Amino acid sequence: MLLQINFKSGKPVYLQVVDQIKSAAASGAMQSGEVLPSIRPLAEELRVNRNTIAKAYSELENQGIIETIPGKGCFVKPNNSPLKKEVRRKLLTEEIDQVIVQAHHLQVPAAEFLNLVRERLALLEERQRANEPPKDL
Amino acid sequence: MNAPTPVIEIRDLAYAYGRAEAVHGLNLTVQRGRCYGLFGRNGAGKTTTMKCLLNLLRRQRGTVRLFGLDPVRHEVEVKRRLAYVPDYVAFYPWMTVGETLDYLASFRSHWNKDTEASLLERFQLNPTQRTGALSKGQRTQVALVAAICPEPELLLLDEPTSGLDPIVRREFIETVIGAYQEGDPGQRTILVSTHLISEFEGLIDEFSIMDKGRDVLALGADQARSRYQKIRARFTDSAPATDFAGALHVRRNGRELELIANGGGEQIVEQLRRLSPESLTSEALTLEEVFVATLK
Repeated sequence: MLLQINFKSGKPVYLQVVDQIKSAAASGAMQSGEVLPSIRPLAEELRVNRNTIAKAYSELENQGIIETIPGKGCFVKPNNSPLKKEVRRKLLTEEIDQVIVQAHHLQVPAAEFLNLVRERLALLEERQRANEPPKDL
Repeated sequence: MNAPTPVIEIRDLAYAYGRAEAVHGLNLTVQRGRCYGLFGRNGAGKTTTMKCLLNLLRRQRGTVRLFGLDPVRHEVEVKRRLAYVPDYVAFYPWMTVGETLDYLASFRSHWNKDTEASLLERFQLNPTQRTGALSKGQRTQVALVAAICPEPELLLLDEPTSGLDPIVRREFIETVIGAYQEGDPGQRTILVSTHLISEFEGLIDEFSIMDKGRDVLALGADQARSRYQKIRARFTDSAPATDFAGALHVRRNGRELELIANGGGEQIVEQLRRLSPESLTSEALTLEEVFVATLK
């Protein structure tokens, strides 16, 4: 997968990496067991400090999205979240609140906002299905 | 109590060339493992600061500590632990690249031959070529290779990319810094002075902006990008002449309004929204824009 860093988003660079890998893992763009690029080449490719990538990876590991196998690299973990339901809801609530505030600033009305959410959800689900191996194999 | 000793600590540094004060009252702290940017215009005092760190210039006031040591009293100890690449690199022109590196290695107790070989290959530098025949970019590459092969704890880079073409710059600074940090992740420190800030946007963890010999701002890069915002609004009629508390700069042009906020961007956006603009956007400033906004 190709990561994109946007210095104008105001979001810490390591969090941009975290969020992009998280959503790639959730959408199926990265599959469980898939290896992540190692720190140094990724840092060079994105033109960021290796500290930033290292911080992003350790955050992803803390959140249970990836795991490090010493000497082999970092891998996407199977999609059984280790977090309790309430914790997951809480994490999501914070993110949703941020998007709602942003929609408010961009003057996107509630109905349009909800439609957009449904659209994106459908799109991601479709992608995930496309990435699943056929059942009859 | 057990705060780790900063790799660089400068307090109230002053240095004057005759009557011309280059640095006065500079404070700077760099913690281990950081890639720290020292940003300033030409003549802001960046090189003088670097030279005081190296004891190439004897400070006239203040304290300077490297690894907790005074570079005046412990010059050799300090210099063993760091490498310095000046803004203008000169080698003996009759030596080849390989001879130059061997010669420089002879001053060091440790030299990583693998790093040398892999970077020479990566930069396609021919070890049998005389340094006198190298381009400016290649000379800088050789100097950077020579700086990281001893695997020092601290790398001081003074304007490492000035005078180089953009393609060359893009290529090798990341490569060298990446190779250097990889050897001991999280432990190796870099201080880089530059006025070409956008080149280093992603590499810098923290920075200080220097102006007229002083530090005017010291911040984490992510912190700066979240604190400084550019807010743009367009109105159906002419832009209101309201005051915006906390706005650094305000530009008005007919129906359009552009503000630079240093913190408090949220409130300004709220305030603008209540004036029902046609459109309203906000984005973070890049480090270069923060630099310009700070010195304007």
